Amino acid sequence: MSNPNTTRRKVLIGMTAAVGAAGIPFAATPFISAWNPSAKAKALGAAVKVDVSKIQPGQKIQVSWRKQPVFVIRHTAKSLESLGQVVAKLDDPESLNIEEPYRGINNTRSKSSEFSVLAGVCTHLGCSPKYYPEMESKPWDNSWSGGFFCPCHGSMFDLVGRVYKGVPAPTNLKVPPHFFEGTILTIGEDGGVV
Amino acid sequence: MNGMFSKVFDWVNHRLPIVNTFERHLSKHPVPKKVNFWYLFGALASVVLIIQIVSGIWLMMPYENTEEGAFASVEFIMRDVEYGWVIRYMHTTGASMFFAVVYLHMFRGLLYGSYQRPRELVWIFGMTIYLVMMAEGFLGYVLPYGQMSYWGAQVIISLFGAIPYIGESLEVWVRGDYYISGATISRFFALHVVALPLILIALVFMHLVALHEVGAGNPEGIDIEKYVDEDGVPLDSVPFFPYKVLNALVGIGVFMIVFSIIMFFFPEMGGYFLEKANFEEANPLSTPEHIAPVWYYSPYYAMLRAVPDKLGGLIVMAGAIAILFVVPWLDRSKVASIRYKGIFSKIALVLFATSFITLGYLGTVPVTESRKLMSVIGTFIYFGFFFLMPFYTSLEKTTVPPERL
Amino acid sequence: MRLVSILFLLTVSSFGYTAGGAECGDYGDCDEFVAQLHDNSSLQRGLNTFINNCYGCHSLQYSRWGRIAKDLDIPETILFEKLVFDPNAKSGDLMKGSLDKKSSEDWFGVAPPDLTLVARSRGSNWIYTYLRTYYEDDSKQYGVNNLVYPNTAMPNVLEHYQGKQVLGCKQVPSYASNGGVRRDADRNIITKEECGHLLLTENYGKYTAAEFDTMIFDLTNFLTYVAEPVRADRERIGWFVILFFVVFTALSYLLFREYQKDYH
Repeated sequence: MSNPNTTRRKVLIGMTAAVGAAGIPFAATPFISAWNPSAKAKALGAAVKVDVSKIQPGQKIQVSWRKQPVFVIRHTAKSLESLGQVVAKLDDPESLNIEEPYRGINNTRSKSSEFSVLAGVCTHLGCSPKYYPEMESKPWDNSWSGGFFCPCHGSMFDLVGRVYKGVPAPTNLKVPPHFFEGTILTIGEDGGVV
Repeated sequence: MNGMFSKVFDWVNHRLPIVNTFERHLSKHPVPKKVNFWYLFGALASVVLIIQIVSGIWLMMPYENTEEGAFASVEFIMRDVEYGWVIRYMHTTGASMFFAVVYLHMFRGLLYGSYQRPRELVWIFGMTIYLVMMAEGFLGYVLPYGQMSYWGAQVIISLFGAIPYIGESLEVWVRGDYYISGATISRFFALHVVALPLILIALVFMHLVALHEVGAGNPEGIDIEKYVDEDGVPLDSVPFFPYKVLNALVGIGVFMIVFSIIMFFFPEMGGYFLEKANFEEANPLSTPEHIAPVWYYSPYYAMLRAVPDKLGGLIVMAGAIAILFVVPWLDRSKVASIRYKGIFSKIALVLFATSFITLGYLGTVPVTESRKLMSVIGTFIYFGFFFLMPFYTSLEKTTVPPERL
Repeated sequence: MRLVSILFLLTVSSFGYTAGGAECGDYGDCDEFVAQLHDNSSLQRGLNTFINNCYGCHSLQYSRWGRIAKDLDIPETILFEKLVFDPNAKSGDLMKGSLDKKSSEDWFGVAPPDLTLVARSRGSNWIYTYLRTYYEDDSKQYGVNNLVYPNTAMPNVLEHYQGKQVLGCKQVPSYASNGGVRRDADRNIITKEECGHLLLTENYGKYTAAEFDTMIFDLTNFLTYVAEPVRADRERIGWFVILFFVVFTALSYLLFREYQKDYH
């Protein structure tokens, strides 16, 4: 074995290894991408449209989006006015601790001044909170000002889904992306214009 | 940082024989220094095995192993899963390439007498791998549940029915139902995905262990361990790592070019790799005009159709594969490699290869009188190659192979 | 070794490629069709023809509306406005068609099959030929028969475009046994009568023969696309992958030869 040209060998090893290594992310792409939501998942997870004109003031309806319940509540003027009174009981009245897509536009936390659109999933362990809009004494709160009560572990939220202090749930109910076109509410898409 | 790495490495190496194994099987494992391209196909076969396992695992994720969902789930993979088509074509191309590579690998064995003493067990493990591969390919082909999946399964399972006395009940037992149905799909799925791959991997491991125990052969068919240096290392050898690893790398590169050309431009290969009839969902009420197995089974299919009797055809087909196992004992030649064998062996090998390919072609086309005759002749030549081998290998005049490579 | 290889190659090359005798039924060999998958206007016309003439009976159950809009470069609003007649259909929906399977089985004897994969199971050549070989046949249920698919249960949906065809006899050149065309003393071709040919009644249908051929070409083109929507992408990506492996092989070959110097 005569003197091997070590420089040439190092260069060739380096180049071959570099080309080989460069190919790895491309080879991995199909396998990683295949785990992304498929066209079927995207179709099933597509936005849902709801006609809100039939909802009575004070009424809440439930719509399914991505296998989750979404609450659409039509508030009465009175209940909107009462929102200020519960602030002292709330943990995060300005929704600073969560991603709030439509902060500061309306006190309903949504794109509409009349309707709230809330993910009906308790932020504690995922149960579906129940809607109690009446302002009357309740077993879980003598001075209940209306809102949501979660039967699983007793978490409480106000009429626009803001979480109370001292309950198991850590954060406010989430607001899904949505937009209104006349009386048609589309849940799941932002609609672009704020 | 370097010191830290060596400390950790030493800790592991003390408990797991990393350095020892690397030296014994790679950097100090002697292999013949001069071999030709025929010797690359073993490495290529392991590459394809890995490709099949990885692509197979990913195909399992969206695939539905039910009668209602199977066919649609495959189209779903092709259209709705991101890059699902890459993974599907990888798997179908890999299946055909697996057999192409293995056939060439086996032919190398016939060319250079790789099965001769002391490598008989390597050969037997190899033949068992081939047998398991054929079962694996059949089971996998049923899963997309197209017309050919269904009717091919129908034909093969009905072969079980040819066995006397137990045949009919055996058919029902294999199917898990009175006809091919979801029960058949789900059990074939389990066998194709877990049982047979595990067996295959174990067999490949044994195949390599047996090989490393006795060392690789060479095209001259000589024993390189006859001439060793003062350390006992054969003079005509080089360490496997890095020399043969680099050689294999080039082979793998060329192979991947061919693989990619097929996968991206000719995945159906004119209907030989992906049969046209399989783009139609399985229909128990409508038999396709031509039922043909995939190309790698076609030589045996031609033999099956050449024999007029059902049980006879099954025996001939099984015999054609069984005879391969005993080649080490049929070859009585004093030399291993075709280079130094006599004229009889050379003619016999050419006839064998020709008959195998011709039978392969005949298995893909509809039967006619002349084609049937050719199949019969081809079958006789195929078996003649083996049955006459003890005679022509011992009677013919061989030449003397060199002492050194 | 050379002898072996030569004998080998001789035998194998003597096969020729027989793609299976009469693939197109009584018509013989299918007419050739070469897909133009990059021609979006052709694909769009084909989609239009399909939706307006075929989708009433045949579903494309593995295909989604949104994918077609994207691949064929059609804005979704226009697609849904012009070609999607189901008001509840959404972009991600499968094109399941409008015909109830059970009823259609009762009406036609067999449910009109789904056509998503027909270009791969029967072949594009077959489709292109089939749709042009209908002819008048009073003995059949709908008064038509088809040379490529004899006794088909499908009526001649496109008759008002093509016009009527009949099986008739016409004069064709006669050939000698060596394959040459027979001619008389004045070098005119000697013809003989041959029957079983399709004869078109021109000017009966909306399109000329050439226009109808283009319509069927576009339709077949679309069906070829829908059978494998990813085909154009697949071929494009393939070039890059092959290039990568060529470069890699070249480099690893140089590396191999460099190390081979140690023992060669």
